[in-house]
Amino acid sequence: MRKLLALLLAAALTLSLGAALAQENWEIVVVPKDASNPWFVRMKVGVDEYAKETGLNLYQKGTPEIDATLQAQLVQDLIAQGVDAICVVPVNPESLEPVLKQAMDAGIVVIAHEGASLTNVNYDIEAFSNSGYGAFIMDNLAEAMGGEGLYTTMVAHVTNASHNEWADGGVARQKEAYPNMTLLEAEPRVESEDNGDVAYNKAKELFKKYPDLKGIMGTSSYDAPGIARAIEELGLQGKVFTSGTGMPAANKAILDSGIVKSLTLWDPALAGKAMAALAVKVLKGEEITAPVDLGVEGYTALTFKAGSDKVLEGQGWVVITKDNVDSFGF
Amino acid sequence: MSGMARPKGTLSTLYAGNRHVFRLVAVILAWMVFMALTRFEKFYTLINFQTMASQFPEFGLMALGVMLCMVTGGIDLSTVGIANLAAILTAFFLKAVALPDGGLPAYAIPAAFALAMAVGAVLGVFNGLLVSKVRIPPILATLGASELFTGVAIVLTNGNAVSKLPIGYATAINSKVLGNLIPVQLIVFTAVALVIWFLLNRTTYGVKIYLLGTNATAARFSGLSNDRLLVKTYMLSGICAALGGMIMLANYNSARANYGSVYVLQCILIVVLGGVSPAGGKGRISGVVLAIFLLRLLETGINRFPQISSYYISLIWGGVLLLVMVLDYFSDYSAGRRLKRRPATPAP
Repeated sequence: MRKLLALLLAAALTLSLGAALAQENWEIVVVPKDASNPWFVRMKVGVDEYAKETGLNLYQKGTPEIDATLQAQLVQDLIAQGVDAICVVPVNPESLEPVLKQAMDAGIVVIAHEGASLTNVNYDIEAFSNSGYGAFIMDNLAEAMGGEGLYTTMVAHVTNASHNEWADGGVARQKEAYPNMTLLEAEPRVESEDNGDVAYNKAKELFKKYPDLKGIMGTSSYDAPGIARAIEELGLQGKVFTSGTGMPAANKAILDSGIVKSLTLWDPALAGKAMAALAVKVLKGEEITAPVDLGVEGYTALTFKAGSDKVLEGQGWVVITKDNVDSFGF
Repeated sequence: MSGMARPKGTLSTLYAGNRHVFRLVAVILAWMVFMALTRFEKFYTLINFQTMASQFPEFGLMALGVMLCMVTGGIDLSTVGIANLAAILTAFFLKAVALPDGGLPAYAIPAAFALAMAVGAVLGVFNGLLVSKVRIPPILATLGASELFTGVAIVLTNGNAVSKLPIGYATAINSKVLGNLIPVQLIVFTAVALVIWFLLNRTTYGVKIYLLGTNATAARFSGLSNDRLLVKTYMLSGICAALGGMIMLANYNSARANYGSVYVLQCILIVVLGGVSPAGGKGRISGVVLAIFLLRLLETGINRFPQISSYYISLIWGGVLLLVMVLDYFSDYSAGRRLKRRPATPAP
């Protein structure tokens, strides 16, 4: 009897060891929009780092250029190869749906990023909620403005959904946390048309028209850099301020010279890590209940987007200052 | 090939007549052996071959059309434009005829194919008229037409994807027949390839376009109507492209003005790799079909190596193209020398 028990125990141990080994052999692939865009080269840095840290069979594989058909074929190849999880940043959500359905049908875990409209996924990770990111930009602007003065907001187009949600989030944050700041009611939202020159001209016009204006909150990645040019040209440095989304390398000069104290962004490297971490959780069969902690900076308390059980939102924004502008590689 | 004066047995005759095809087979076999040695269990699976067979028809069909144009000494750069425009119009049609419960009436799928082929034919005839009647060089005519078709497609859709199609169409084309083995996409491709093989090898149309491609002036003086032949050829290319668009519509269950934009150049590379002379008058469909296989085998094979960046796909593809053309040059060169030497010997 004892012998049998020992044998059973040994068998159980071997089995669990086998299971543990199998876990480490999970093949997880991150498919970005393409392989050469600096944004996704940065994502690969995060993915490779995470593979090294965790010892997972995790790698990023992209197509030579951004093309919806090429991406779909790459994903089909990965399905045929029998990988365990696919993490994808879709070029075009519609064209990927049928392919992702094939993946789900084949029992492959599918995690998306920036694909909130996808239905054939286990989960989609967004770096942040739109209102949360807007509040974060406002915090940065308020810090530069010393928490007081007249400000307005700039969006690419007033029809652009996400930019306007950011701007709304920023204004809401100001009302709640910065009582000494006031929104320029005459022109509370101006358009930059996603164009640096338009942003520059608009800002010059605003500063001349409203001498009291002390800050502009930018949303599109062209806004803050364009506004910064206007500030520099009008000699208003240190008197008026801006903050908003911006790419690090392109804006190194305005950060170094101090015209702009901080820009905001989300880091694709961290998004890559977060996708991989969530894939592992799903593969392990862990229950995903909010708040989800993926152990990745900015992705430690993900919550479901209102009305969705697939889209998870983090706090994955980062601030870019002259001190860290060189650390991103794009 | 008059170099066959010395009979050497059927196999060498066969080789001499199909040098290029044999060379492509050799390259494909070499790649298959390489994959067998390095990634056997991940490459030689049924599902992998089924996946490839469902992937290549969309650009394979377009390449068949480009081949026809190139045999006449022309080219068709508007295939992707035609494919997308046909797919978008068909998508509108499918959405319009969908039943309230999201299903499709029985006539919908055949009608959709008929509509797409009609669109492809009309756009192809437009290309053919530009080339033959207006006498615009084919490369410019079809490039301009491509921009035009894509522009119309963008205007029709505002640049967005046409999606949320009734699922019946995608399901029908994405299924497998004959005991769940053969993808429907492959059936469509095979059918079109057979039709084109028949046209080129068993009809006067085939003989005429080879003559037209070899020497347009000689063709005209032989009493051929070059203009009509060109219009017919570009029409066929348009139909092939539209069918490619139908496969894309099914594979991605949506249509958009910019799908498959990489296929324009890819098709030309395939056709040239397949042994069709860009100067016209020369080329076999077997070569083009093998080149289509080779491209898919290379791409899927490379995707089996996580460490290899996708940049290498272009690199290897370009390398293979140049390799085959260099091999061609040397074998044609030596064949040419043999031919020249022979009449030279009896000279005084």
